[in-house]
Amino acid sequence: MNIRSVLAGLAFSAFAASSLASSGLAGQPAPDFALKSSSGQNLRLSEYRGDVVMINFWATWCGPCRQEMPLLDELYSRYQRVGFNLLGVNIDDDSSRAMDMIDELGVSFPVLFDSSKEVSRLYRVDAMPVTIIVDREGNVRHVHQGYKPGYEQQYLDQVRSLLRE
Amino acid sequence: MTRKLLMNLAAGLSLAIAATAVAGESAPPDAAQSASLAADAEDAASRDRFRALDQDVQSLKKEVLDLNRDLFLLEEELLFPANSQVAFFISMDVGEYFKLDSVRLTIDGKEVANYLYTDREAGSLLQGGVHRVHMANLKAGDHELVAIFTGQGPHSREYRRGATMNFSKGIGAKYVELEISDRVRKQQPEFVIKEWE
Repeated sequence: MNIRSVLAGLAFSAFAASSLASSGLAGQPAPDFALKSSSGQNLRLSEYRGDVVMINFWATWCGPCRQEMPLLDELYSRYQRVGFNLLGVNIDDDSSRAMDMIDELGVSFPVLFDSSKEVSRLYRVDAMPVTIIVDREGNVRHVHQGYKPGYEQQYLDQVRSLLRE
Repeated sequence: MTRKLLMNLAAGLSLAIAATAVAGESAPPDAAQSASLAADAEDAASRDRFRALDQDVQSLKKEVLDLNRDLFLLEEELLFPANSQVAFFISMDVGEYFKLDSVRLTIDGKEVANYLYTDREAGSLLQGGVHRVHMANLKAGDHELVAIFTGQGPHSREYRRGATMNFSKGIGAKYVELEISDRVRKQQPEFVIKEWE
């Protein structure tokens, strides 16, 4: 009985540790990175210091990402002019698929390609999608793993609150 | 006698009434004045306290910044001792025939840096900025540096060029500059690696 409960505890803690991998970044400075974007430009996170930045890790094979992206685009279109930026980081090996999906969904926010997965490792991304919200000071303030309908309201509340700071 | 006594009493009474009246008239202004003075003094004291607190916060901020700088320098000295330190810098001159996108550095066959330049960073280089792209510890002896530059060449074509340099690391720090400049005669960019003395 004791061994079983210890094993259950260990399994739970391992699960909790893995599920909180990227959540552990909350409150810490957002690791800086530069990646090639869909427009051909290189974009660096630190150049957005002073703005609220949402980093959305996504992949073409991820259903919830497809569901979430148009909603994120709406958020970006609405708040871009008041100091909000959204960087979509695609982790596919083949960026042409991502380009096709961007065209299909008609998203307007910049999409960056992390085919070497360096940035995903930096942000300890172990779920898909992962959405990270960075404040004006460059600190990670909110981490969302996965996507369920209704998350967009949380994003909206958090972005609005950070824009007010 | 009685009349005189009554007159004295009346005079005394009127004096007392007058004195009370005077006292009654002067008492309220004194209390109000002293209250407003006390409030002013308290305001001034709280302003002073606030100013002192603000100064304390400012000096604390300065101390934190100083400490941060000292720690940074100490960390660099510890991680990259002057004897084994080698630093690589990128600079650009003119840049009419080349728009820098990225630089990849390989030392002795091992990739040590791969830096992507944003438009703003490339613009800063064009304005005379110098970017330290990599800092390393290297043993004394001979080493080979290979730098691969990618970007847009003449007529906005994809451009990729490599430059190689063999250098000898002795005692003391070494600084290597990778300079991108225009070769006007050939209308091509030129990539030069040089050591700073």
